[in-house]
Amino acid sequence: MNTPVSNHRSNGLSVWLQTTGGVVGVLLLVQFLTGILLAFYYVPSVDHAHTTVSYIEKVVSSGSWLRSLHHYGSQWLALFVFLHVVRLFFDKSYGDRRIGWVAAVVMLGLVMAAAGTGYTLPWDARAFFSARVAEGLMSGLPFVGRNARFWVLGGNEISTITLSRFFAVHVLIMPFAIIGVIVWRFRSCVSWANLNRNTIAGGVVFVALAIWCAKFPAPLGPPVEAMTADYLPRPGAQFLWLYQLLKYVPGGLGSIAGVVLPGLAVGILVVLPWLGARMRKPIGGAVLAGLVLTVTTMTFFAYMSDLHTREQLARQATEETKWRTEPFNPQLLQSAQRESQTSGSTGGPPEMYQKFCVNCHGPRGEGAQQGTLRFPPLLDVAAKPRRTTEDIVALLKDPTAYGLQPPMRSFSDKLTEEQMREIAAWVVQLKR
Amino acid sequence: MRYEPRITQMNTHTDQISKSRRSFLGLLPLGVLAGVFASIGGAAFRFLRPRLSAPSEQWLDVAALSELQGPQPLAKKIVAEQISGWAVTTDEHNIFVLPQKNNQVLSTICPHAGCEVSWEQSTNRFACPCHDSYFTADGSRISGPSPRGLDALPTRVQDGKLQVQYRVKEDGETHA
Repeated sequence: MNTPVSNHRSNGLSVWLQTTGGVVGVLLLVQFLTGILLAFYYVPSVDHAHTTVSYIEKVVSSGSWLRSLHHYGSQWLALFVFLHVVRLFFDKSYGDRRIGWVAAVVMLGLVMAAAGTGYTLPWDARAFFSARVAEGLMSGLPFVGRNARFWVLGGNEISTITLSRFFAVHVLIMPFAIIGVIVWRFRSCVSWANLNRNTIAGGVVFVALAIWCAKFPAPLGPPVEAMTADYLPRPGAQFLWLYQLLKYVPGGLGSIAGVVLPGLAVGILVVLPWLGARMRKPIGGAVLAGLVLTVTTMTFFAYMSDLHTREQLARQATEETKWRTEPFNPQLLQSAQRESQTSGSTGGPPEMYQKFCVNCHGPRGEGAQQGTLRFPPLLDVAAKPRRTTEDIVALLKDPTAYGLQPPMRSFSDKLTEEQMREIAAWVVQLKR
Repeated sequence: MRYEPRITQMNTHTDQISKSRRSFLGLLPLGVLAGVFASIGGAAFRFLRPRLSAPSEQWLDVAALSELQGPQPLAKKIVAEQISGWAVTTDEHNIFVLPQKNNQVLSTICPHAGCEVSWEQSTNRFACPCHDSYFTADGSRISGPSPRGLDALPTRVQDGKLQVQYRVKEDGETHA
């Protein structure tokens, strides 16, 4: 089994083309190391995910660099695993080194899946939309769509349970699967013939990545609840093709284009070694050419079409830069028991508040979250314009006059003027 | 066949060169791995280094001075905010106010092992439930393994209210 990696090419450049495996190895090592480190601070819950990622970015030493390594490393990894597959194809590995070939193709699928699940974890606006896209892609699947969506989300809608699922898949299932593939591949065939060049190539790519990441921090959009309607979410580079492709495909066909066809392509490449000897090259070549063509043209179109929206994207970038310079605000954690005690000290909420308002705005007016809906806190509300006691009474009668939207409703039919005044008087004195 | 000796000689020579080259190159993969580990490892050390939370300068209300009467230590609760990394938590702490000693405030944390002492009415002393340390009504040590008496917390009077600062030192003990 100990076939040398290269026995027919040994001149200059072509020898260096044999080093994609080494680069993939080093990039995988970087993903594992940085991923383990990020897990020391990250909390997978919709309440804390964005806060903990902000903390890593703003407060923890080297946090921004390590997160950037993980973020951009995942994009470089996808690229180099793909190049590795292409290189093995030209070496006809599907013929004489089947396990190496299948392992590389499966690795490509795993790396993309790991990137897809990891993308949701910071729970910023981008992450939220990527969860939305995953939801849409799943629900459009033929036959199994309804159940696939249900299982991916862990319920009817995107919630903190969805985030936990993506987290578990990302940090437990994917790494074990990737390690499994590596072990399986190296148990079958080890060739150290080109080891030095592989490590040199891996080292060079690592240095390039390290410098890139020192210059460019990984993006982090606004938290989901602070997202404005004009926010334009853009996926990471390895998913731009999918993002652009979905623009051209109507409705339910998106799942075919985004999930079924790529899955089919990977499936065909996996079984390539077992196809007839004459069919392997044309079929594999066609699939790879299709992938290369789709990914490059779609990615190119994605960048081109963003030229039209560059003003908004530039505005978002400026806001993100501004956000980075602002100091980090720790998040208040409170147990229910403490909440009742502190509310006691400011005077408890009126009875009618308990009845109608508490579900959305919380027992102390601290706000709440139900599914994807976030209800604003009422603390310090008096500091905002148009929020005097009189205003709040008027607002309770007609929220739309104050620019509020459903689910905030009018309480004219539920509360008397006196009850509204009692609630308003209590709300204006709430402080953080 | 005539050239055979020369060829052998040349081969030995190149063998020697490539041997030393190989032993040098053999270290290369290790060097690259060491470089990756060292750069990420250095960042990891800074990344994981624990952060000391600054001692809270906040003055916390204990009670109105008018309530603080009587011959015995009064058990009170205060709620202190603590910043731990990305989170602010509100922690409830028990304290004793000594109206007989100019409203001095004692921490209930036993200086020995950190259990919470309680006031024993019958024997007129503080008792630690864990290792039987005992303290007088003003907090000085009577007996048991505790190295010293109960710690006093900094206090002040503001607007007729007794206020206290609750601090946690680096070694986990309360107050300075």
